[in-house]
Amino acid sequence: MSSRGWAAAVTVAATIAATLALAVVFAAERHYERAFAFRIAGTTAAYVAAVTPPPQPPPPPPPAPRVVRGRRRPSIRPAPPPPPPQLAPLSPAARSYDLPSLLTQARALQTLPGWSSDVEVYFGTAPLVDATAPPLSPDDLSYLAAAGLWRAGRALVPLKDRDGQEVVGAVAVRPHPMPHGPLPGGIGFAFPAAILAIGAAAATAFRERSLRPGARGGYVGAALFLALATYLDVRAAARQSTDRWLVDTRRLLQEAATRLPPPRVRVAISDLAAIVRDGEVVAGEPADSPPRRVRVDGERRAVVAVLIGSGRWVELRSVPAELEAPRWLILLLPSALLGPLAILLLRWAERTPARLRRETAIAWGFLGPAGLHLTVFTIGPALYAIYLATAANLPALARDPVTWNALRNTALYALYVPVSVALALVAALAVFRYRQHWGGRLLSTAFVLPYVASAVVIALVWQAIYRWGSFGLGRTDWLSNTGSALPALMLISVWAHMGGQMVVFLAGLQAIPPAYLDAARVDGAGAWRGFWRVTLPLLRPVTWFVVLTGVLGALQMFTLVFVLTQGGPSPSHATGVMVHRIYQTAFGQQAFALASALAVVFAVMLLILRWPQLAILRRQVRNA
Amino acid sequence: MGSVTLRRLSKIFDGGIQALHDLDLDVRDGELLVLLGPSGSGKTTILRCIAGLEEPTGGDVLIGDRVVTRDPPRARDVAMVFQTPTLYPHLSVRENIAFPLEMRGTADAQVTRRVVEAATRLGIPSVLDRMPDTLSEGERQRAALARAIVRGPQAFLFDEPLSRLDAKLRIELRAELLALHRALGATMIYVTHDQTEAMTMGGGAGQRIAVLHEGRVRQVGTPEEIYQRPADVHVARFVGTPGMNVLQGRGRGTGEEGPVIEAGSLVIPVELSTYEGELQVGIRPEFVGLCAVDKGVGNVDVLVVEPLGSETLVHLNTGGQALVARLPGFADVRVGTRVGVKVDRRRLYLFDAAGVPLA
Repeated sequence: MSSRGWAAAVTVAATIAATLALAVVFAAERHYERAFAFRIAGTTAAYVAAVTPPPQPPPPPPPAPRVVRGRRRPSIRPAPPPPPPQLAPLSPAARSYDLPSLLTQARALQTLPGWSSDVEVYFGTAPLVDATAPPLSPDDLSYLAAAGLWRAGRALVPLKDRDGQEVVGAVAVRPHPMPHGPLPGGIGFAFPAAILAIGAAAATAFRERSLRPGARGGYVGAALFLALATYLDVRAAARQSTDRWLVDTRRLLQEAATRLPPPRVRVAISDLAAIVRDGEVVAGEPADSPPRRVRVDGERRAVVAVLIGSGRWVELRSVPAELEAPRWLILLLPSALLGPLAILLLRWAERTPARLRRETAIAWGFLGPAGLHLTVFTIGPALYAIYLATAANLPALARDPVTWNALRNTALYALYVPVSVALALVAALAVFRYRQHWGGRLLSTAFVLPYVASAVVIALVWQAIYRWGSFGLGRTDWLSNTGSALPALMLISVWAHMGGQMVVFLAGLQAIPPAYLDAARVDGAGAWRGFWRVTLPLLRPVTWFVVLTGVLGALQMFTLVFVLTQGGPSPSHATGVMVHRIYQTAFGQQAFALASALAVVFAVMLLILRWPQLAILRRQVRNA
Repeated sequence: MGSVTLRRLSKIFDGGIQALHDLDLDVRDGELLVLLGPSGSGKTTILRCIAGLEEPTGGDVLIGDRVVTRDPPRARDVAMVFQTPTLYPHLSVRENIAFPLEMRGTADAQVTRRVVEAATRLGIPSVLDRMPDTLSEGERQRAALARAIVRGPQAFLFDEPLSRLDAKLRIELRAELLALHRALGATMIYVTHDQTEAMTMGGGAGQRIAVLHEGRVRQVGTPEEIYQRPADVHVARFVGTPGMNVLQGRGRGTGEEGPVIEAGSLVIPVELSTYEGELQVGIRPEFVGLCAVDKGVGNVDVLVVEPLGSETLVHLNTGGQALVARLPGFADVRVGTRVGVKVDRRRLYLFDAAGVPLA
């Protein structure tokens, strides 16, 4: 590639990377704007439901003016009015709204000073605020029962009846476009940073033919700066989304404070809190108007002070959206660093002979699928589990007796391995001795069969044996007896794993040069001593391998417990082994953080146990 | 010490392959007998039958005066050194050498003493506490030898113990083995396929070579005997470097210039007047000479010339049969040319068609 062509390619690569980063920022800003729109629409729907009275009943009984809020926490209201005499559930019509009042309330929303959005309220499919606007489609309305909708730049959320049961209409919010960026004109940091990064790439590429490490580092720095700037913009958008909601909701609360109670009665804070379902309303102090970030009980909260009456202040709190903004870095960092990566790749391609380039490309082609698989299904989940585990309460985990019981059971269960290994060795010797004979082959097939069978099938077969046979020992079922359940599982495992271990031993026996045994025989060793002094020591690496893989497999046992005992017999958890405990914690109790923590701790323990195995394998490789 | 006697020993393996045919062999007490033969001739099978690692199909093995044919190896009191050094890899050299004594329940103090003795005899007392995989090839085979001599068995069996060593080490250890034989005065059976080695090992007093071919002992004798008077055509071909040339030929008692043997393109005048018909004529390469075309007993084509320094081997084609000439120094012979052949008439060996010497 020519020098100019190379420089142009570098610039293109940097431009693509910067554009990608900007696209991510744009997507994030849209995401947060929509999140705000849906959120304020939901709050508005709750507000409308709270402030609108029910329809007037046809035979007018004495009006019950404050029925409106009767469904929420009537007990903690300061001056409980007589609850509406509702002995039977309200009819759908009675749970709906008084249409004239609804019309009034909806129109009033449009005139709220300081609101940053256009709002529309639909009763059924009919728009109330702007009566000439097109109605909602019935499909959209029915769809709203399940979830919110984004239609033509507006967030649509359902307006439910006063019992919150049926969808009677919708609230649509179109947020006014607002400048996101902190720079003049609403420009974010990202755009100038992108220009800078492209410029830096172009400058370094066109100035000199070969990028010295220093210059390269400068461009990497510019790319990192781009990542940082885009992140700051995303964070600002997230923050703005929360702030906008706080400010607009404050207006709604103030409005509600005047509309909710009958005249001359102070509004209850709990009534206001009912409107703000995804935030908190608590009694508060006078404060400045802009939203602030404070710590409440150690948690970060975005708060704004709301004046709801003369001298009465409440505080509106919300979880700040920017708390989870860092996850955008997963997209932002790679797209920003794509530029430097592409440049390094270009440099490498320029320097490398075509043949090596092709070979490397082919090698990566081969590695790619495996690497992708490993990343997506192994490394990714492992990292995610570690991330989840950070939220777990480790001291509580250590104090939990069930955890220790699981560990103990796991260790006890693994004790079957020496037994099965010893039996496997005996079987291997027998099969090896008679390997030319049909009896030996039959024996070997019989031992290997369970090894190749599915663990679930084995479990079910043995379940039947334990249930019906019980080996004539008078017990009805070994698996449901606390004392015998774990040994019963161990017996199955011995039977199931012996064959595989025997195959490894057979391979080991075949690998021993016969001259060693000949020499031992001439030296005067009989069969027994020859075995102890020569065969067994020569098999030692194989034996270690079999024992360690067996123990590691035993520690990770899950299938038998899952199929046969579910960790029971409860409540003693007699067969509750570690992996099953992890499974139970995650999918039974839905405690994913705890399960992840258990899994990580257990993985570390297995890793430590794995060490001698790796050492042995290394030694074997060296000797081979 | 004891003699080893094989009586009508035969061995047929499971696949139906007969490795030994009614084989008789006497190894005298204190003798070093070299079993020489090409691969597949049954040398190792004989050793394994003597050691008890294989059970013969027929015949008997006697050690001393005792018939041990059905005895297990540990009841036979022989020691064996294998082609591959069979030091147990998990035991130190000391433990390896002590192993046979330990198997026989020798007292500890005696074990210690005899291990050091054996190691000293083979010059490896310094490596006693090392593990086999840290030893050199030579040290390993010495340790294997020490393990063999440590308990003073009735007989030693060596199964090509030096064949895996490099040439220099092989010569060194060969000399040591001979010294060991002299010093111990022990009965030894030494298997090799290398006839140079056989000549060296079988050359001294109380040493003989037994040449095996296809499961039969063809000849037992001193190196000189088997070189000068081969018992059959197989021995003749196998012994010597290179082995004897054996040409298929036909004797004619009524040639114009007296009796001749026609072999390939050669017509060799002989003094043997009474023989007519198919025969084999043998001549060692050193007694084949080259001369101008038509000046010798026939003309041949030069196929390959191997200049070895002190001598030159010339491979010739005589009417489709191979003939090797061994000429002193560097010979001026061109590949692809045609030359005449001279033979030393007094050095001819005549065999009948079955390979048995005539006269």
